[in-house]
Amino acid sequence: MPGLPSRRSGRAGLAALPALPALFLAAGGLVLLAQGAWIPAKAALAQALLERAFARTLAAGAPSRPWPWADTVPVARIAFPGLGESYVALAGSSGQALAFGPGHVEGTPEAGEPGTAVYAAHRDTQFRSLGRLAPGDSVEVRRRDGRTIRFRVTGRRIARWDASGLDADAPGRRLVLATCWPLDALAPGPDRLLVEAIAEDSRTAEP
Amino acid sequence: MQRRSISDPLPRNLLIGPLVAALLALFAGAPPARALEAGGGTLLLRHAGDQPVEAPRLAADAAIAVSGPTARATITQAFRNTTADWVEGTYLFPLPEDAAVDSMKLVVGDRVIVADIRERRAAQRAYEAAKAEGKAAALTEQQRPNLFTNAVANIGPGETVLVQIAYQQTVRQSGDTYSLRLPTVAAPRYSPAPPAIQSAAEGPAAPDPVPDRRRIAAPVLDPARSAPVNPLTLSIDLKPGFAIGSVHSATHAIRVEAPSESERRIALRDGATAADRDFELTWTPAPGTRPAIGLFRERVAGAETVLAVVTPPSAAIAQAPMPRDVVFVIDNSGSMGGTSIRQARASLLVGLDRLRPGDRFNVIRFDDTMETVFPDLVAADEAHLAHAKRFVAGLEARGGTEMLAPLQAALRDGRPEETGRLRQVVFLTDGAIGNEAQIFAAIAAGRGRTRLFMVGIGSAPNGHLMRHAAELGRGSFTLIGSADQVADRMRELLLKLESPVVTDLSATFSEAAEATPAQMPDLYRGEPVTVAARMRAARGTLTLAGRIGGEPWRVVLRLDEAAEGTGIGKVWARAKIGDAETARLTGAMEPAAADAEILRLALDHGLTTRLTALVAVDATPRRPQGARLARTDLPLNLPAGWDFEAVFGRDGEAPQAPGLAPAPRERRAELIPARDASREVALPQTATDFEIRVLVGAILLGLGLLLQARRRRVAP
Repeated sequence: MPGLPSRRSGRAGLAALPALPALFLAAGGLVLLAQGAWIPAKAALAQALLERAFARTLAAGAPSRPWPWADTVPVARIAFPGLGESYVALAGSSGQALAFGPGHVEGTPEAGEPGTAVYAAHRDTQFRSLGRLAPGDSVEVRRRDGRTIRFRVTGRRIARWDASGLDADAPGRRLVLATCWPLDALAPGPDRLLVEAIAEDSRTAEP
Repeated sequence: MQRRSISDPLPRNLLIGPLVAALLALFAGAPPARALEAGGGTLLLRHAGDQPVEAPRLAADAAIAVSGPTARATITQAFRNTTADWVEGTYLFPLPEDAAVDSMKLVVGDRVIVADIRERRAAQRAYEAAKAEGKAAALTEQQRPNLFTNAVANIGPGETVLVQIAYQQTVRQSGDTYSLRLPTVAAPRYSPAPPAIQSAAEGPAAPDPVPDRRRIAAPVLDPARSAPVNPLTLSIDLKPGFAIGSVHSATHAIRVEAPSESERRIALRDGATAADRDFELTWTPAPGTRPAIGLFRERVAGAETVLAVVTPPSAAIAQAPMPRDVVFVIDNSGSMGGTSIRQARASLLVGLDRLRPGDRFNVIRFDDTMETVFPDLVAADEAHLAHAKRFVAGLEARGGTEMLAPLQAALRDGRPEETGRLRQVVFLTDGAIGNEAQIFAAIAAGRGRTRLFMVGIGSAPNGHLMRHAAELGRGSFTLIGSADQVADRMRELLLKLESPVVTDLSATFSEAAEATPAQMPDLYRGEPVTVAARMRAARGTLTLAGRIGGEPWRVVLRLDEAAEGTGIGKVWARAKIGDAETARLTGAMEPAAADAEILRLALDHGLTTRLTALVAVDATPRRPQGARLARTDLPLNLPAGWDFEAVFGRDGEAPQAPGLAPAPRERRAELIPARDASREVALPQTATDFEIRVLVGAILLGLGLLLQARRRRVAP
């Protein structure tokens, strides 16, 4: 609409017409770039805050919020010793929690308890590393109570999010790390990569 | 405009949606190619999803005998190993919630092994030892009160073994209608990793959060992932102890034979059913023959157990409903973000709409802060309702979840003397909290005359919290998983809220008796009171008292007039175990004391519980011999009473040995699913769109700059 009056005036009008769309395109592009950059930045920043909150949790023996208005608390630190990486996981797997770190999926036991503990994280931030875990690799989970449980990766598979085949009450002390699959895809999809691991002591203790 | 596009997700997504779609079209095809080379699990990945290892196959038959107030069901499951290896199979199956599982038999070849009840760890050890020695063995364990697993070890290649379990349950009565439910399972989902199915082995008994599976089990099948749905055969012998009027199944087409006026034999009209929905059978007495009162007894091991089923007079129902005082509590914490808060708001509005003139109400919202809309209960008039609705509509999800304070505020009863009004709390939350024990204790301590109704919101509400909070608060609960369930589920719940028929129930025995339930519930329209008790001898009286619509109601039963019933002892023991589990959960009993009580009851009555399991072990090792047992051996050597023809595969693979009669075709089944799909862990969305944003952003920026540059070139 703003370009309408100038359309009558020949060459000058032609030149004025694309000014607005160009401006909009550039501005929109900048906004999207900023939004896109904010997601990994937030995840990295949050991990720093979460590390501190988790250290407080271990010291105090009581849950500690990473920032005052958070709706979740750090519950464990998941480390991949072979890759030299570790991430602090949060309670719950709502989108809000996952924006900051791996989430402990509701309804599954804590790592090291009987059953299958499931942690999920974004494929493009923390759990991109799942692609580099192979059977036999170890995964260490430090829990809120200070205990560290060592798991051994037994395998990996792809499943749909609603047909995971995971039973939270399965026998044994199991750990499953989940993220979106394929790791390099651009759009969210229904498939998930599941890395399955079993606690080392339970494997040796039972025949 | 642009500021808005940052703060409000909707316009933003509308803006980039078409762009993203266009870009995706460009990139389609690329990701799968890259996927295969990622990581070292290539082999597994190629198999994942489309090539699961074939699992041993299962078949099932259910035979149920109803006699008077109880039913005894015998479930026969056949395991066929279709692989070329020795395998172990475990499968999970649902049973009615009050099922008292007391018997298991394993048939291998020509041997029948009867299981013993043992402490669960001991049973697991016995099973593991037998498995390691190459002996045939079976283990039945309770995973949840309504969910069991069977594990069978050392099934030879091509072999079939049978496992038969039996349980006792009570018949449900509501008004004039009696009913029986047999849960079946949804889609089978085999784990693709070999061995196909894992053994139940290590670890102490898992904690028992007792979610209500039947309610969670929205029967949603994913046809793309499920194996063909498997038929289950079923036969019911119905002897309710009175002349039968009608027999009906709302869930399946049935065939009914009537050998006499007080007996019916029921089978499925199609012979077999797909195990995709619960089977339900209802029956009514013939007009005019309705038994006045259901009172039964059974003598077991030197003591007598009585079971009383009494329906309060229906005349009272016609009375005007009692006015209500309702406190709605809504969780608007951050975990409720997105669809959950919308469902919660909608549910609350439905609740407000059903208030009647004369009712009073209040609304509390909480995250890590809380806010009460009115200082006290207010009349449900137009002005107050409008104010509350405006408040609810403006709620946004943010902040932490501090549930204790609002719960206590809602339970606080300012007028305990107003017994002519119903005091109810409707609590809407996803229950994403970790301090359940604290919440349960607060409910037990503060409930008073208030009834607590839980509404679980969202795709993964904390069912454990909902169920037990409602049970402790003597109310009810419902789960709302999607927006289109709001209206139906809320109406169902609110109907209950509006029409409790009998309140303040109590049951008193004149003689010493161990009675259950420990805490009498409110009764809703048509529901009977069910009381079971164990005593030295069925003598003296049972007095039931309560209030019907504000008026006192009382009935006295003479126990020596009780009729003989079967299985009542087991039903009583199962109910007592349920009471002990609840007491343990709420801290009314020390966990160790509760466990000891449960173990004692379970071992005395031979029941499978959280702490006990049934284990059957064959005496002779068999695996190393390698001598294949011919499949045709199996049906020949079955003991009398085994309904083996019901359980053989229908793919024509059961070979017919010369001289063997072909198995009758009308009663056959295959496969009970190996997994209970409804309890599967659903995985969250774990991809962000930041790459797309960056990409689209860069392209837009580039286009903009390009356009600008061209304009410059044209303009001067």
